[in-house]
Amino acid sequence: MNDVANRNQLAYIAAQASDARVNVEFESEGMTLNLGPQHPATHGTLRVIVKLDGERVLRADPMMGYMHRGYEKLAEVRTYPQVTTLVNRIDWLGSFANEVPFILAAEQLMEVEAPPRAQWIRTILFELSRIANVILFLGDMGVQLGAVTPVFFAFRDREFVLNQIEAVTGGRFHPNFDRIGGLKDDLPKGWIEETTGVLDRIRTFCDEMEDLVTGNEIFQARTRGIGVIPAEVGLAYGLSGANIRASGVDWDLRRDGGVGLVHDQVDWKVWTHPDGDSFARYWVRLQEVREACGIIEQLLGGIPSGPVMAKVPRIIKVPAGEAYVETENPLGVMGYYVVSKGDLVPFRVKIRSASFNNISITPWVLEGTYVPDVVSILASLYFILGDIDR
Amino acid sequence: MSTPAIFAAVTGFDPLTGGEFLVAQNIAFAIMAITMLVSAVRMVTTGNVVHAALYLVIVLAGAAGIFILLGAEFVGVTQVLVYIGAIVVLFLFGIMLTKGSFGADDGVGGERRGIAAMVGALVLAVMAAALLDTFRDAELSRAEPSLTADVADLIFSRYIVPFEAISVLLLAALIGAIVVARGD
Amino acid sequence: MILAADPLLVDGIDLTVVLIVLLKAGVAFALLLVAVMLVIWFERKLISDMQNRIGPALAGPWGILQTLADGIKLFFKEDLLPTRADRVVFRLAPYLSIIPAFVAFAIVPVGGDFSDGGDGTVSMFGRSTFLQVADPPVGVLFFLALSAVAVYGVMLAGWSSGSKYPLLGSVRASAQMISYEAALGLAIATVFLSSGSLSTHDIVVGQSATTWNVLATGIVPFGIFLIAGTAELNRPPFDLVEAEQELVGGFHTEYSSIRFALFFLSEFMNMITMSAIAVTLFLGGPAGPIVTQRVAWVWPLFWFFLKVMAFLFTFVWLRATLPRFRYDQLMDLGWKVLIPAALGWFLLIATLDVAADLGWPTIPVVIVGVLVLWGGASLLSGAVRKAQAERLEEADRGADETAGSASGLGEA
Repeated sequence: MNDVANRNQLAYIAAQASDARVNVEFESEGMTLNLGPQHPATHGTLRVIVKLDGERVLRADPMMGYMHRGYEKLAEVRTYPQVTTLVNRIDWLGSFANEVPFILAAEQLMEVEAPPRAQWIRTILFELSRIANVILFLGDMGVQLGAVTPVFFAFRDREFVLNQIEAVTGGRFHPNFDRIGGLKDDLPKGWIEETTGVLDRIRTFCDEMEDLVTGNEIFQARTRGIGVIPAEVGLAYGLSGANIRASGVDWDLRRDGGVGLVHDQVDWKVWTHPDGDSFARYWVRLQEVREACGIIEQLLGGIPSGPVMAKVPRIIKVPAGEAYVETENPLGVMGYYVVSKGDLVPFRVKIRSASFNNISITPWVLEGTYVPDVVSILASLYFILGDIDR
Repeated sequence: MSTPAIFAAVTGFDPLTGGEFLVAQNIAFAIMAITMLVSAVRMVTTGNVVHAALYLVIVLAGAAGIFILLGAEFVGVTQVLVYIGAIVVLFLFGIMLTKGSFGADDGVGGERRGIAAMVGALVLAVMAAALLDTFRDAELSRAEPSLTADVADLIFSRYIVPFEAISVLLLAALIGAIVVARGD
Repeated sequence: MILAADPLLVDGIDLTVVLIVLLKAGVAFALLLVAVMLVIWFERKLISDMQNRIGPALAGPWGILQTLADGIKLFFKEDLLPTRADRVVFRLAPYLSIIPAFVAFAIVPVGGDFSDGGDGTVSMFGRSTFLQVADPPVGVLFFLALSAVAVYGVMLAGWSSGSKYPLLGSVRASAQMISYEAALGLAIATVFLSSGSLSTHDIVVGQSATTWNVLATGIVPFGIFLIAGTAELNRPPFDLVEAEQELVGGFHTEYSSIRFALFFLSEFMNMITMSAIAVTLFLGGPAGPIVTQRVAWVWPLFWFFLKVMAFLFTFVWLRATLPRFRYDQLMDLGWKVLIPAALGWFLLIATLDVAADLGWPTIPVVIVGVLVLWGGASLLSGAVRKAQAERLEEADRGADETAGSASGLGEA
């Protein structure tokens, strides 16, 4: 038996053993409920093993890996431009944003910089994919609490955003548009005016959400004071993005990171909320969508002219070295640690995806809650399965 | 109870009123009585707690049916509302909440069968004695359908003291339950 | 006996009478089935409109036959029986759910002329009768008893499935329906006070003579009835029993094929029945102006239909708008708000009745009554708040203890 097969088998046995251990541990007392891998609340294949006393959660353990696709490993046999095709599919709702940190890392290694116009358009697309991602959360939060209508509104308005992304990149879900040293193409004609119209729609959508969901007493009763994450705990678990900002930590890589994107060129605000509960996470995201509209609007007004592609060799060989770049993606901090040995392909890519850390707090935050709150807290933490399992 | 009923159903002769033919009522009564008896027996012999509760429902429903047969609609419907709709549902609620088990439990209460039989016999004896003592040889008049308003008038005039006594008793039980449940 | 109030049955029973009763029952059954079909379509179409969707559009004109198509599909699907299910109870539960739904509609007067002191009799094959299947003297209690029985369908379905999600659903169902039945009953009791009868027919007649009960009882019981009724129906925002996001399908997770269809039908049937009962108790039943004398018999039916539709619309509207309560919030609402409110209002109306009987002046009685109610309400809310504060304190102590013993991040 060769080594690889041996390793696979060992890994399989270990996984089975840990699974069995968890089950035995849980079966001892109370009732064990498997939320998932197939469950309407997990919108994907997350499995949360919940031990219940009545409807109270004694312990909750997230089991991940049902959707592991091995992108880190696959990236080792793809050339640098090809990797974007893979990482597109990590956070599939805001795909363009996945490409950006990787490309930035590669650019750092190659010591090239994208021309200003490319950087601005990159930032615009980055923020557009944030909107495309987060407004689905705003709708989905309602669904998880039993109000089905918001998500249809979200899908309706998300379509306009996707149309804009498609008009530029040619892809609605998987744009694969970012290139080392710039972008594949320039903006199409008339795109800027159209996008301004779309931003108005998104703002209207935010107002609608405020009317339909935020002010609703039942919604408030279901989210306020539920799933409170104090700032220290959140930081200790490595939460990022709106989840940590909702706990009052004023930390946003768009403002504090300052790599490659042009957020520092425009005037915007980082929203935080002191409460750290489900409502705060919802509210912060709602404000961030509005803020993203403002960012895009300002950026649209000042795109510099010039080329969208720097001079890079046709066959990209990245010099030896290593780079770590992280950006504030829709779900939180996403970082790529790229190690190059001067080859056509990366030697090693480590992806730090936001949801993996965000979901790791579930055992802490779910303890002592009720089954309906499990669902609403999971929804408010907002994870994308592809972003957990990569 | 069931022997005169079967007799009445078969012969169409009502022993209570002496000679009147009430076939439909008697057949209905006989069916209900037999169902109740069988269910009552099954209730104490089945090994599954939820099934036992369901047999109890059948017994209570039979009692409600007999009330309606006697023209006491209000009592019959209240029987359904209170006993079937609330009390047994709470039994079931408790069973599901505490055990959450599926299927039969072996030997439910089997060890106390003797005591239970004794209690049952005692209750039967007391009730039989009370009934016999109350009615003796009195001829029972054919029951007129009772109206809800009449029942209400009786409760709030002639039987006001027992009614209030029961109310206070229930209130005490309620408060007691809360105190026991809170445990402090 | 149970049908005694109907003039049809007063002078003895012959073949015509039996046939008329059978006819009424048959027509009611058929109409209910058709109505359920249309209501399902109505709900889907309406909620689609509210959610920017098209909804059923292919089967028949405007997709109106969609329910029929779904029903046929379900009928021919495989009927699965879970291994751990309790076979008998599992098979019995759908019927326990649907039969009360059908039977409860029997006491609803759907037509008949109640205007100008009319008592709603219509003549049918030379006999005069009411346009309702039965008019028992205990009418509304009968409805309450049936809705109590309907709990069994949901509860036993969940238990007998032998699976965890349905069990959680049925535990929720039993507690929820019992709790809200109390509020529902108290709200209805206020109607008894103002109408002085339990019979649905008498209640409708009484309303046409004076004013509709929604005003006569002062709106509050109507509101309580609507909220408690929605909870009793397990409709959003009280649909915890089948909360999809939490319990997958709730009590009917394990059901498939025609048995699932029966649950589905009974849910909508209950919705119709609850709307019809609300119309009967509070909105004067089929009463309404007779616009043309030519087809006078149509108008009461029309008004009845219109009022029921208003309720159905509201149920759908609620579903499209509101998120779901949590279990403990639901219980809080039921026990700490609705039941005390219904009881207090019941006492107030009763006091007013007595005052009217004894010839006391109304306004001082109202003022004193409201003051007493207000005092009671503030006492109750004070008690609730105090208990809550104590519980929180206790929980904090408990949390401190656990935090003390826990290691690492738990302390933060």
